[in-house]
Amino acid sequence: MAAISGLGVTRRGLAWIIAGVPRRELWSRFSASSFYRDDQSQSSATSMEDRSQFMNREEKKPVVAETLEEVKKEPILVCPPLRSRTYIPPKDLQSRLESCVKEIFGSSAPSNWQNVSLEDGHLKFSFLSRLADDLGHAVPNSRLHEMCRVRDVLDFYNVPVQDRCKFDELIASNLPPNVKITWGY
Amino acid sequence: MLQLLRAGARACLRPTGGRGLNALAEEAGQHLEKPESLARAGPQVPVLHKSDFPVPVHRRPVQAWVESLRGYEQERVGLAELHPDVFSTAPRLDILHQVAIWQKNFRRISYAKTKTRAEVRGGGRKPWPQKGSGRARHGSIRSPIWRGGGVAHGPRGPTSYYYMLPMKLRVQGLKVALTIKLAQDDLHIVDSLQLPTEDPQYLTELARYRRWGDSVLLVDLAHEDMPQNIVAATSRLKTFNLIPAVGLNVHSMLKHQTLILTLQTVAFLEEKLLWHDSRYTPLYPFHLPYCDFP
Repeated sequence: MAAISGLGVTRRGLAWIIAGVPRRELWSRFSASSFYRDDQSQSSATSMEDRSQFMNREEKKPVVAETLEEVKKEPILVCPPLRSRTYIPPKDLQSRLESCVKEIFGSSAPSNWQNVSLEDGHLKFSFLSRLADDLGHAVPNSRLHEMCRVRDVLDFYNVPVQDRCKFDELIASNLPPNVKITWGY
Repeated sequence: MLQLLRAGARACLRPTGGRGLNALAEEAGQHLEKPESLARAGPQVPVLHKSDFPVPVHRRPVQAWVESLRGYEQERVGLAELHPDVFSTAPRLDILHQVAIWQKNFRRISYAKTKTRAEVRGGGRKPWPQKGSGRARHGSIRSPIWRGGGVAHGPRGPTSYYYMLPMKLRVQGLKVALTIKLAQDDLHIVDSLQLPTEDPQYLTELARYRRWGDSVLLVDLAHEDMPQNIVAATSRLKTFNLIPAVGLNVHSMLKHQTLILTLQTVAFLEEKLLWHDSRYTPLYPFHLPYCDFP
């Protein structure tokens, strides 16, 4: 009796103990979780079957739900590989821009395509996001307000971007023989 | 539903006023999101945000991409226009310094206290007569030149370093901090802070993929409307902090490398910070009720 009370039983369990109910019926009423807490309880064959059925019923539901969730999670929440920030402007940049302008802005005079204004929010967004997806290099937030005409976008995309820090560039460049740079990063 | 979408698309093609375009775009965007699954491709209605307040004639609004936290690749969901007087003011580093130091010091109470020669126990009697003993002349054994004596000019009691900067200066400090965050590419605007999971690792990987930096400050509008996933994720992370819009301050903005604002937060901040540009001096303090205080 002392062992049972030491388990931290529920109020219902205590009532059963006080009423003097035989242990077999006590254990068959308890939930599956409390079984694992007590390793020393002596259980009869009949209550074991009840318990195993009860536990199996509980186990089936979470297993099924888990597999569904895992299947949904995997294709979406896997992190894609890190992109490098290096950008080298492609040689056909002008033609790509021109074709993009024609697609998004519809008809525009071929000689004037650099002067097309990007004032409208929709057109600007579709144009710049299209270019960013194509070239893998997006206009940063700080320079979005500078992009008023397609010519500004062309100038922006003509500038190459390197991912190296200043020290790496210095190390790679031609240094005089008495200059040594040790950079732990 | 399809009719609503078509109407929305038609209205979007026609350039309407600021609020109308914004509302229609958001509506159409919302109705598009619900029936479709998470992985969607193809043309979506972009989320365009326009500032609710008139922009001065000689200035153009600044812009920023509207991103989404729902997927790793959703980096350009829309375009937001930000008011230049809030997000593109002069970069007054002196004001920023003043406000940051004020934030650090105005709450400070130093409890250091030392005893003076009058408060140290003992030392009322002249230790030896003035003349004749051959030793230096002293009046008490607790004077500051004695070992065990009082401290001459030490800290005296709890001192408060409370002072208040003018309200407009603190407001300008916030505007300057936001300007600098945008100018240095550390500001990101998000349509909402909804995450697909409450796993904190998703948030850290997202920040690493988008190269946000080590510490991120997420700002939502109010505590009640914060989604459960983001609250759970940030509560388990040390360097990712979630605050309501009223808790935005210069020190936190400088301490965290990246600042993430939602569209609602941007509207709230613009309303609160721009009101001070054109207000009268108060006849009675602002903490008492006003009918037109924002």
